[in-house]
Amino acid sequence: MTATVEHDQVLSIAQEVFSAMVDGDLGLLLPWEGDLPEIDDALVAWVDLHGEWSGRAVLVTAGPTALELARVLLDLDPRDEVSPDDLVDALGEIANVVGGNLKSLLPTPGTLGLPHVGDALPPLDGAVRSQHLPLSWRGRLLVIDVWVTPLVLKEKP
Amino acid sequence: MKALVIDDSRTMRRIVARALEGLGFETLQAEHGRDALDQLEGGAEIDLACVDWNMPVMDGLTFVTEVRANPAWRGITLMMVTTEAEHSQIVRALAAGAHEYLIKPFTTDAIRDKLDLLGLVPVEEMA
Repeated sequence: MTATVEHDQVLSIAQEVFSAMVDGDLGLLLPWEGDLPEIDDALVAWVDLHGEWSGRAVLVTAGPTALELARVLLDLDPRDEVSPDDLVDALGEIANVVGGNLKSLLPTPGTLGLPHVGDALPPLDGAVRSQHLPLSWRGRLLVIDVWVTPLVLKEKP
Repeated sequence: MKALVIDDSRTMRRIVARALEGLGFETLQAEHGRDALDQLEGGAEIDLACVDWNMPVMDGLTFVTEVRANPAWRGITLMMVTTEAEHSQIVRALAAGAHEYLIKPFTTDAIRDKLDLLGLVPVEEMA
């Protein structure tokens, strides 16, 4: 176990989260293939991990994709409107579960912050992006990033 | 049977409640541990509480401890439903009085299996 999480571990967690919580089946969240389009009207959900290993799990997607994701999570009819509160809550909960499962991979205990959702990611002092996973959920771009603090990077073998 | 779903995420409350209702439970919901205690102190009668760990106002571990400290609530089965997957955290929750531990993400089958272990799956569901 290294001090940072590996690409395949993040992918595995993301696929498990979407399989269990969103799609009810495997195979609907896949690595993105081809050129990456710009994410317009982006929504960002993140959760911070604190402890000897500090960092942040981040989910970024376009507003319409976030709406569709919330609709599926909440089991709403395609014609039902998703309220802003439900949208924020649904996206935040996915980031929360991804972050919580990342935390369980870490070599030292830590704590998980509460999820946040916004249109931009606030800075995390000195952190750098250690994993960047552009993914395709039902053909729509969704990005999961993992950020780590300088302390973690220093400890990496 | 009646279950109280305690989670600060309304999305997760709906997911858990939907799974429980599919198993024949009536459900109530609370946004955090204090909200749940208020409902119990107000007379809500439940068989099962599904408890998230990380919540504002009162976390799930504190809620479990408070419930276990009150003999009037000793019949309530407590199941943590949380992303806290570290062994040490599971031990803490069980030591505080939780009966079972379910890690997010979970499937409906996983909930049913846990409730089956606890003897809480309604008879018609098991048949």
